[in-house]
Amino acid sequence: MNWESVSSTFLLIAFILYSVSFLVFVIAITGQRWSARDPRQHARKWGWIGFGGAAVGLAAHLIYFFTRWYGGGHIPTSNMFEFLTFLAMMIMIAFIIVFAIYRAPVLGVFAMPVGIVILAYASVFPHDVQPLIPPLQSYWLSIHVTTAAAGEAFFAVGFAAGLMHLLRVVDFKETSKPARREQRGVEFTLFAVLLIVGFVGIFFVFKSAGYSASFQRETVSIDANGNEVTQTETVNYVLPPIVKPFNGTVLQMDPFLGMKSPLFEAPSWMKGVNAGRKLNTVIWSVISAAVLYALLRLVFRKPLGAVIRPALQGIDPEDLDEISYRAIAIGFPIFTLGALIFAMIWAAEAWGRFWGWDPKEVWALITWLFYSAYLHLRLSRSWHGRRSSWMSVIGFIIVMFTLVGVNLVIAGLHSYAGV
Amino acid sequence: MIPNTKCECGHQNLVGTVLCESCGKPLYDEDGTQPLEMRYDGVARRSQKANPSWIDRIWNFFSSVKVAIYLILAILVGGALGTIYPQENTFINIDPAVYYKERYGTLGDIYYKLGLSDTYGSWWFIALLVMLGTSLVICSLDRVLPLYRALSKQQIRKHPQFILRQKVVYRGEIKEDAEQWVSRLAERLRRKRYRVRTDGTALLAEKNRFSRWGPYINHIGLIIFLLAVLARNIPGWYLDHFIGFVEGEPTPIPDTRYYLKNERFTVEFYSEDEMAESFRKRGEVVPKKYETKAVLYECVADCGTPGKQPQLKEVARHDIVVNDPLEYKGLLVYQFDYAETPRLVAVNLSLRNKKTGEAYGPFRLSMKNPATEYEAGPYRLTLKQYFPDFALDDKGVPKTVSNEPNAPAFVFVITGPGMPQDGQVYLYFPREVDKVKYRQDEINGAFGAEWELSVGGMEDVEIANYTSYLNIRVDKALPYIWVGAAIFMIGVVMGLYWQHRRIWLRIDDGVLSLGAHTNKNWYGLRRDVAWALRQTGVEVDPKQLANEVKKT
Amino acid sequence: MVVVGVNARFRVVCMGKHKKWIQVIILLAVLLIGGFSIGSSLFSKESIPKEGSAAPQFTLTGLDGNAHSLSEYRGRAVMINFWGSWCEPCTREMPAIQSQYEKWKDSGFVVLGLNLDESPVTVENFVRQYKLTFPILFDVDLRMRNRYGVISYPTSFFVDPNGKIVQIHPGEMDEQSIEEAIRSMLDK
Repeated sequence: MNWESVSSTFLLIAFILYSVSFLVFVIAITGQRWSARDPRQHARKWGWIGFGGAAVGLAAHLIYFFTRWYGGGHIPTSNMFEFLTFLAMMIMIAFIIVFAIYRAPVLGVFAMPVGIVILAYASVFPHDVQPLIPPLQSYWLSIHVTTAAAGEAFFAVGFAAGLMHLLRVVDFKETSKPARREQRGVEFTLFAVLLIVGFVGIFFVFKSAGYSASFQRETVSIDANGNEVTQTETVNYVLPPIVKPFNGTVLQMDPFLGMKSPLFEAPSWMKGVNAGRKLNTVIWSVISAAVLYALLRLVFRKPLGAVIRPALQGIDPEDLDEISYRAIAIGFPIFTLGALIFAMIWAAEAWGRFWGWDPKEVWALITWLFYSAYLHLRLSRSWHGRRSSWMSVIGFIIVMFTLVGVNLVIAGLHSYAGV
Repeated sequence: MIPNTKCECGHQNLVGTVLCESCGKPLYDEDGTQPLEMRYDGVARRSQKANPSWIDRIWNFFSSVKVAIYLILAILVGGALGTIYPQENTFINIDPAVYYKERYGTLGDIYYKLGLSDTYGSWWFIALLVMLGTSLVICSLDRVLPLYRALSKQQIRKHPQFILRQKVVYRGEIKEDAEQWVSRLAERLRRKRYRVRTDGTALLAEKNRFSRWGPYINHIGLIIFLLAVLARNIPGWYLDHFIGFVEGEPTPIPDTRYYLKNERFTVEFYSEDEMAESFRKRGEVVPKKYETKAVLYECVADCGTPGKQPQLKEVARHDIVVNDPLEYKGLLVYQFDYAETPRLVAVNLSLRNKKTGEAYGPFRLSMKNPATEYEAGPYRLTLKQYFPDFALDDKGVPKTVSNEPNAPAFVFVITGPGMPQDGQVYLYFPREVDKVKYRQDEINGAFGAEWELSVGGMEDVEIANYTSYLNIRVDKALPYIWVGAAIFMIGVVMGLYWQHRRIWLRIDDGVLSLGAHTNKNWYGLRRDVAWALRQTGVEVDPKQLANEVKKT
Repeated sequence: MVVVGVNARFRVVCMGKHKKWIQVIILLAVLLIGGFSIGSSLFSKESIPKEGSAAPQFTLTGLDGNAHSLSEYRGRAVMINFWGSWCEPCTREMPAIQSQYEKWKDSGFVVLGLNLDESPVTVENFVRQYKLTFPILFDVDLRMRNRYGVISYPTSFFVDPNGKIVQIHPGEMDEQSIEEAIRSMLDK
């Protein structure tokens, strides 16, 4: 039995189970209206079924994790794909813990999609099990990455609860300026979620259609002896090139919707073939998210926040505020320990300096500072409620940026990702 | 004179006290309906003076939580700006004044001029860290003492207004004997690990007070951490160099008396069967291990004297691999990177007479800084010319194209038995390919037909294949950094994973007034209170205990 | 009640006096530590010398076998030239440098030719071939090259009698530009 395919199968099982239990949670909340039974009982019953499904999904996910560990010889947290699947697993664990404390089925409707979307996002990255390069060969890999992910998982749950709180309290019927600003903020957050969903969707659409385009770029530089050296870089695009790399020449390009050559060229300050590809990816994500958003608005004829709001009527906003805060309070020490302290210890051992102001390190610190500002602001009662919820949303965006943005946009010692 | 406010219970409170230190009655907002401000249990935090001196003003500034939050956010933003473009400390030999403008245009130039190219070492960033440290010290000092005072002498019987204006409240009739009921409840609460004190018909139950000290402990941890970081500026506490070590050459470590020799560097790659099948198809080569056999020397004499060779004494030896450095008296040498730089280091030559077969020598000829005089038996060789990277210019005149021994050429003058009076000139190329290319034998003519300088075999040729890049560090502040971090973790876990809960109640004429407070997790507190009441026969839903508050 | 009141006041008076001292001590500590840290970051950074900054000190062995320090030449106009025998622009400008040296050396001008870590044999031959008479120093391990931030060869630093760098010239120089630089230093 090929352990690689076994572990992949279990991951797929987990993904399906999570999605199904998400739907069950949705039924638990929305079905209250047309259920013959007492709505509370209905919610409870379906809530426990959903919880059960999530738990079984988590079990499958754990099997994926351990089989991959066994087969690959190292803990599967060493590249983007492995880390994101691990993060999704931790989010599910955090969700289960918080659910066990607060028993609110509606939490499942929001926390589970965060995990599912992250799992889906993970799948665009190369799946292969890569042997570990020397800098990663240390038991600290297990400790630092897993603990940091655990902390971030709780921030994810805090984000879900914070978003729920906002959806619950932001009144889409009000027209005052601050109210409009909040409505726009909520819509923007939902749009941001659609960005990732759209990107994943579009990626798989083009990948399964077998689309490809490739570009080449030559750079001339002068080496130490004063001689001219020409380097040729090539890049492969999975998505149709709306934007080609700066100074790149087309090697091959499948036509798309009548488009036979790239529409634009990346600006000159975007040096490197990969910069052009990433810009192209971002543009496609924005387009697909915009299309999805427009479709949803057309179907529902009102802002998405207003659509989701009724689902949350059954829960007290103060409880949501408390769940969000509690999740962040639980996650903060874990995050500090994993993302900062273990990272510092490992860096001191591997690179000889515990802190080097590497962009990834700086952004982990920024995340930490942000959440400590959050905790301090909570000392003042005026910061409970909406403001806290906004902060929990922004905080998680910062977490995602540290994960995705820094790896892909900013170069540095930490960028092991390569997509 | 320090003015006081006297409560109706008779206790003298300091000016600024919000809730009477003794009975808890609100001293200001007496008729209000809002839940009470329970921060620090309402004690006066600072003695209010009419005219704060400038010292007081500075103190109050740093004592403010608002200022602290602004400082946190300022550091956050400043830090983020430093990630826009690579920082100066990531390059080795590039002039920042030119680099940013060239590579990133006007924006890059502005970035550099604003000092952002070295954000984390800039004076304003360090100033922010210093201010944050100050805020940590002053905020904590200002609050921990009043808090300690408030919590260490708590009254059991509180004023009814105090009790009924808490966020968790219950009011109901108790039909049985008040004192018995109270002691039964006390028993129940003790089982939930509350510390309960009773005073007849009044009760104070408290749990997890220690968690209140959490924030102060974590602040102490942060202060130690910051001080340790700043201590790195003390001379001798911090060193950080990246140096390439060519195999075979002891290379000096700047700012120290140490030299390090890379005896041998090895790199191993993953074999095909060590890779997973899907990865194998990618045909990539992945390094599995790099190792430097390193020897550390200390210079004991003639270290800085120009013209003299430093005297080295071996002090340590270690096989350095990526996560396993060489350690010696606080000096740490880490494996960082490597480069393939194959080159000739030295040859052991013998002067051979091709006719008689006799060989004289051997002597070692180094490619870098070769000596000028050599002895081979009775013969003496004087080095007259040396070209590390031999080539002929357009006029056919010998020259060198670089300072690297890529194609070394030596011109000797040999004196001794059988040699001309003024010495015999001899041109020697260690590399076979150069011998052929420049026709060494032709140039050396008749002499070259009879004599030659050569190596005995491959063992006489010293080659360096790799340059190993090692990172040399000293960091005396490191232990304190870990101590600070550990204390921080303890404090933060104490403060966030336990909550300080208190329940006050009193029974007056058969009416029970119960109020409870916690610093976080009201959900859990309500459940505790509901559970305790249920044990004594009072059925109540936790939600009902929440005091209806006016939402902001 | 009175006792409690007196206790309270006594306590506050006691603490109040101490409090002032605590404040002063802490603020002083902040000033010292903060000043030290911020000062370190402002001053001790060994930055690449620019025109107008002081020329970093060095002591190197010369071709004559003696140690030579930059400080020895205080009071004289100095041209520090980083060169290597493989570097064509460096060798091309040597005759011009030698000529200018002979012209101005009696007016207090000196050239220090810092050789980029070549072996003495090579340097000796070169100096003999080009008939150079100004001091040639060995920049062993390229330490001074790093300190001076030299990234291309040749690079010349013109240092006035007060030890201040008045001009940095990367690249080959001709007699005219060298003379101009010398004049500007001697005129001051």
